[in-house]
Amino acid sequence: MALNPPLLHTLLILLSLSTTITSSLPSQSLQDSPPYLWPLPAKFSSGDETLSVDPSLSLTVAGNGGGSPIVRAAFDRYMGMIFKHAYNRASSLLTRIRFLSMVEYDITSLKIIVHSDSEELQLGVDESYTLMVSKNNELSIVGAATIEANTVYGALRGLETFSQLCAFDYLTKSVQIYKAPWFIQDKPRFQYRGLLIDTSRHFLPVDVIKQIIESMSFAKLNVLHWHIVDEQSFPFETPTYPNLWKGAYSRWERYTVEDASEIVRFAKMRGINVMAELDVPGHAESWGTGYPDLWPSPSCREPLDVTKNFTFDVISGILADMRKIFPFEFFHLGGDEVNTDCWKNTTHVKEWLQGRNFTSKDAYKYFVLRSQQIAISKNWTPVNWEETFSSFGKDLDPRTVVQNWLVSDICQKAVAKGFRCIFSNQGYWYLDHLDVPWDQVYNTEPLNGIHDPSQQKLVIGGEVCMWERMWSTREAVSKGNITLTALPRLHYFRCLLNNRGVPAAPVDNWYARRPPSGPGSCYAQ
Amino acid sequence: MVQLEYGADESYKLVVPSREKPYAQLEAKSVYGALHGLQTFSQLCHFNMKKKVIEILMTPWNITDQPRFSYRGLLIDTSRHYLPLPVMKNVIDSMTYTKLNVLHWHIVDTQSFPLEIPSYPKLWNGAYSPTQRYTFEDAAEIVNYAGRRGIHVLAEIDVPGHALSWGKGYPSLWPSKNCQEPLDVSSDFTFKVIDGILSDFSKIFKFKFIHLGGDEVNTTCWSTTPRISKWLKKHRKTEAEAYEYFVLRAQKIASSHGYEIINWEETFNNFGNKLNPKTVVHNWLGTGVVGRVTAAGLRCIMSNQDKWYLDHIDTPWQMFYANEPFEMIKDEKRQSLVLGGEVCMWGEHIDASDIQQTIWPRAAAAAERLWTPYTKLAENPDKVTTRLANFRCLLNERGVAAAPLVGGGRVAPFEPGSCLAQ
Repeated sequence: MALNPPLLHTLLILLSLSTTITSSLPSQSLQDSPPYLWPLPAKFSSGDETLSVDPSLSLTVAGNGGGSPIVRAAFDRYMGMIFKHAYNRASSLLTRIRFLSMVEYDITSLKIIVHSDSEELQLGVDESYTLMVSKNNELSIVGAATIEANTVYGALRGLETFSQLCAFDYLTKSVQIYKAPWFIQDKPRFQYRGLLIDTSRHFLPVDVIKQIIESMSFAKLNVLHWHIVDEQSFPFETPTYPNLWKGAYSRWERYTVEDASEIVRFAKMRGINVMAELDVPGHAESWGTGYPDLWPSPSCREPLDVTKNFTFDVISGILADMRKIFPFEFFHLGGDEVNTDCWKNTTHVKEWLQGRNFTSKDAYKYFVLRSQQIAISKNWTPVNWEETFSSFGKDLDPRTVVQNWLVSDICQKAVAKGFRCIFSNQGYWYLDHLDVPWDQVYNTEPLNGIHDPSQQKLVIGGEVCMWERMWSTREAVSKGNITLTALPRLHYFRCLLNNRGVPAAPVDNWYARRPPSGPGSCYAQ
Repeated sequence: MVQLEYGADESYKLVVPSREKPYAQLEAKSVYGALHGLQTFSQLCHFNMKKKVIEILMTPWNITDQPRFSYRGLLIDTSRHYLPLPVMKNVIDSMTYTKLNVLHWHIVDTQSFPLEIPSYPKLWNGAYSPTQRYTFEDAAEIVNYAGRRGIHVLAEIDVPGHALSWGKGYPSLWPSKNCQEPLDVSSDFTFKVIDGILSDFSKIFKFKFIHLGGDEVNTTCWSTTPRISKWLKKHRKTEAEAYEYFVLRAQKIASSHGYEIINWEETFNNFGNKLNPKTVVHNWLGTGVVGRVTAAGLRCIMSNQDKWYLDHIDTPWQMFYANEPFEMIKDEKRQSLVLGGEVCMWGEHIDASDIQQTIWPRAAAAAERLWTPYTKLAENPDKVTTRLANFRCLLNERGVAAAPLVGGGRVAPFEPGSCLAQ
């Protein structure tokens, strides 16, 4: 959804003149008390011991779900991330012998216990876990780390936290865990913690989407909202209506159905759901490149032609194709920014409206509701952008999940009417708004203005960027001066992302996605 | 493991016949030629979206290829900003896509000293923080990773200027507490440390060249520090002569460890006839330097900052493409002294978050200038726009964050559109 280019340009000019904020903490003190965890776990206690971790850490699994390949694959990935320095690969046999004789490791094994054998990934799956790291204690002779969870996805979240506890110490050239023993009991505050990507305005290669999914798992985000198609291009293969992807920018800026399935599989291995969006009836000009009948007229190409059954046949066909690819229980049908002028100005549409005694707003409602029923018939719960609620909320299917983006108090109103809501306030949570500094993003609270607990439950979460506020408890993220409580951890997390090959931009700049202002430590920028 | 030799034959022959024969053939004199041939082969292959198979169009292909210059480099700077290992490896991978073959690692500078030096273990106290460092094994791993991809690693230890960070671990290297650059020329300890560094380097950096820097040396601290000004008087040296003495002494140390030396151009500009005769002069500052260096019989590498500095984001890709090493040199014997050139990704204003989008696609334009025969290069760079745009999209497809072509370096795309048109 496009928004505000003129305003953005103005801000661009103003803000390019401003200087950067420097962190109030010198880089040394940031290094004084690792580890820094992001997002902050719900409950944790730590000590003051330092434990070394064996690079040949062994994995033991238990429980009905312990043998899952998802667990094994994640363990291998995280071992690669934790032990990325070359020393353990023995540049010389002599070096290795020297290391082995000098260093005895405190933590030699990782035990992962998963109670359920179900690998089903849906909204609300149990992502809780306990993570314990301690040396020899009464319970075991072997120094160990233990992750216990109800599902494999809880185990994944625990593995991510474990990887953030581990730090490479350059003096001893070994991986350490500081402030042990650790006892962490963690679970997310919100079930839905999403990131939206838009592959219509620019084609994003599959490898890039995979990099994004991988980086989402570092911050425990769990829904990739894939806004696939829009006005500018239609990059997706739909076998039932094969000409649709003629609306792609070019013959190769496309996703085959196999590409899409691969993305869903890659995401599932990381406990991430993929929610597809097919935005109708607006934001759909690209559909007509392959099927011009979908346009009200050659000079009037948005919204889709409401008068034709063909339009809804195509929607039904696309959804049938997508049902085979996207198992997530939600399907997003868009419904935002519908400018109905084309309907009023095109003869056959005008006649159709008159024939049914519809205003154009009625036709908009009719379109959205009919599309919703198609999705529901395919066993999906529809998600729609907030204008559908603002325009005809009482007629929306009661299962609808309303996604707020435009007006700041929509979630309050939606949950008051019993709808579930996803919070994506564009004032603060739109990542393309480069002028929103990190602290405003951080301080945006989805439950603002909603005090009734039964209504609070209906806010299933939010989308885009502020992962910590969606995982950690409200008190932890709201209290105190976030420059002291959150900023050091955010600096550390940003450098962790860089260390994992994710090009995360400096935290301290006024304007997002700007280069660092000058030479300096990662932790101070 | 096959040792990567400088000057190894990088040529290859690639034949992709038409339908009658079911195989393509790649022939090369060395494994490094074969790597280049594989890269070319990978660029012939396209995924056909309709048939869902990989295709090679326009067969038969008969490709005979070899580089125009033997030294085709990219400089990275890990002192102004620490670059994590995965980022460096990502950069190395992307270099192979354009057949660049030298990674010039400007490891240390004023701001930080991130590398472990076993002979002088306090040197890396000059790192930005305890974790923004490379262990000795990390560095060996980088050399190994690059070597397996046919890329040499040229280590640079810039002396006597650009060396403030050395004193964090060994303050006696500074002229004084208040005057911390250049390194103390009057002290033997300074040269012991250099010797230790180069001795350690020789265990992991196996490229035949070493870069000793020598640029932008402001010698004021030497004459304003009493101990050093006394030494200057005693040895009857001016500041400029002391600079010359420093560089030459460092060169001798490097030679003793088996290296051939590269120095930045100020050393040539100031005392060219005193330099070790096998010195390779690295041009960066002025124009016309390549001509003067080769006229003096010395070898040269080109990185003129008006066209090949990647941190100058106002330099468009067309200027990278059009920068011709032989512009001023018509004599063949002198041309043979130009080893090649290098694009420079200085780190003052870039870090892990934006290095790849600053390097690409402009480095690719320079890479073609360094590889492709002169007669096949486009006289007007705009003629290659489509091909470069396609290559930039290929980089994106391979997960390299190459920026749009339109508008200088590292721009965001202006508006929605096809990758090929931006």
